Amino acid sequence: MFIGEKIGKEWTMDQAPQYAIDHVANSKKNIFEFEFLNSLSEKISNFFGISADSLFYIDLGITKHVFLLFFVSFVAVSTIILLVQGYISHKKNIPNKFMSIIEMFVIYLRDDVLKNFIGDKEYRQWAPLVYTIFFFVLFGNILGLIPIFDLTGLIGKLGANAEFLSKDNVLYLLSKGGHTVTANVNVTFAIATITFFAFIFAGIKKYGFIQHWKNLAPSGLPLPLYFIVVPIEFMGLFIRPLALTLRLAGNMMGGHIALIIFITFIFSATAELGGFAGFGIAPFSVSLALGLTMLELLVAVIQAYVFALLTAVFIGMAIHVDH
Amino acid sequence: MNPLLTPELGTYVWSLVIFLTVLFVLKKFAWNPLLDFLEEREKDIAESLKMAESAKTDLEKIKEESEKILNEAKKEGKTIVSDSKQKAEESANKILNDAKEKSNEFLDDAKSKIDIEKKRAIKEIKEEVVDLSLELATKVLQRNINDEDNSKFVKSSLEAVKVDEAKS
Repeated sequence: MFIGEKIGKEWTMDQAPQYAIDHVANSKKNIFEFEFLNSLSEKISNFFGISADSLFYIDLGITKHVFLLFFVSFVAVSTIILLVQGYISHKKNIPNKFMSIIEMFVIYLRDDVLKNFIGDKEYRQWAPLVYTIFFFVLFGNILGLIPIFDLTGLIGKLGANAEFLSKDNVLYLLSKGGHTVTANVNVTFAIATITFFAFIFAGIKKYGFIQHWKNLAPSGLPLPLYFIVVPIEFMGLFIRPLALTLRLAGNMMGGHIALIIFITFIFSATAELGGFAGFGIAPFSVSLALGLTMLELLVAVIQAYVFALLTAVFIGMAIHVDH
Repeated sequence: MNPLLTPELGTYVWSLVIFLTVLFVLKKFAWNPLLDFLEEREKDIAESLKMAESAKTDLEKIKEESEKILNEAKKEGKTIVSDSKQKAEESANKILNDAKEKSNEFLDDAKSKIDIEKKRAIKEIKEEVVDLSLELATKVLQRNINDEDNSKFVKSSLEAVKVDEAKS
């Protein structure tokens, strides 16, 4: 949500938390309306017996986060493919600046993560998944840090009377809601689901269906212990993707909420103490927000790395049961 | 419910679909080609390192061999020089000796020739002396001595000469 919208309107200090949450959460409305998507949503939901007012209604409408998912994947895919293909087909094979960064991550993940946790021979099979997770999350995190859609909101605010910036316009709708896809638990849960099935599939492929589930608990324990170990391990199986989901979404959410809260200091001070207080606190707020943005850049890379690393670790654990 | 934790199954389904599509596309057009390329490049680097290593050892071998050859050549050169020195000395000595011998021969020859010439010269001088003394005697005496006197005188003179000759 465009933050400057409240300027000149009533602003009270207790609005700040809800304001920050609205800035991170998904948009309430669909950005684009497609009739076939609505009917498809209805059909699928009816198939599973979910009513329209249920919390679990499968609404395939293009909300802001779905739109951003398309945007992020388009940017990620086109950037990576262009750079990689350009690099490979080039005669001299000297990577340019961006390609060197990608190559650095690729080689680091291969040598220190994939080969280390999955194995020198098996890593090739799982490398594309781990790389895709890393770069997908990385692009999502970093593009979420760039306030492109706050800019459209600002334009909308300044030119509120312009026809193309009316309340039903795409530019206006895009300014509502958060723009970090990875701060949405549903998105991170989807990626974690893929990790979940990946490490189960890896184990089954290596040991066969029955042996894989037997591998959950180490053999040779006294019988009573199995009543404790098996439920714990089974729970652990499902806690892993949940932890992945909440770690990434929580980190992204937290950073952005803190960022917004720092900025709302200015409005709160203006509302409570007057314009001079607002001006006084502004440099303080902005430098805090600036520092936090720098930190968020770091967190963006670290969280992408952690997600990829844990995926590799879980796959490795399923493949190498003995250690 | 907190909007940050609302389950949106639609977003979830979209995320799955989009992520799997991205995975498929990147796997085919980016990760596999890139990994193949990196592997190939690393292989190339390893091979060229190996080649450089073998080239290094080869070079060392060649260096050793060349040093060996150089040392041998030096030794040979030394022996050649010392041999030739010896030979030169020998031939010089020979030439010197020959020259000495020849000069000695020349000297002897010259000595004997001088002796012969000396003897002949003395003989000639003697004959000349006889003739001169005869002429002188006739002039001194201013008279004609008869043949008898003449021969007597000659005989005595000759004997005197002979005595001189024996003395000398």
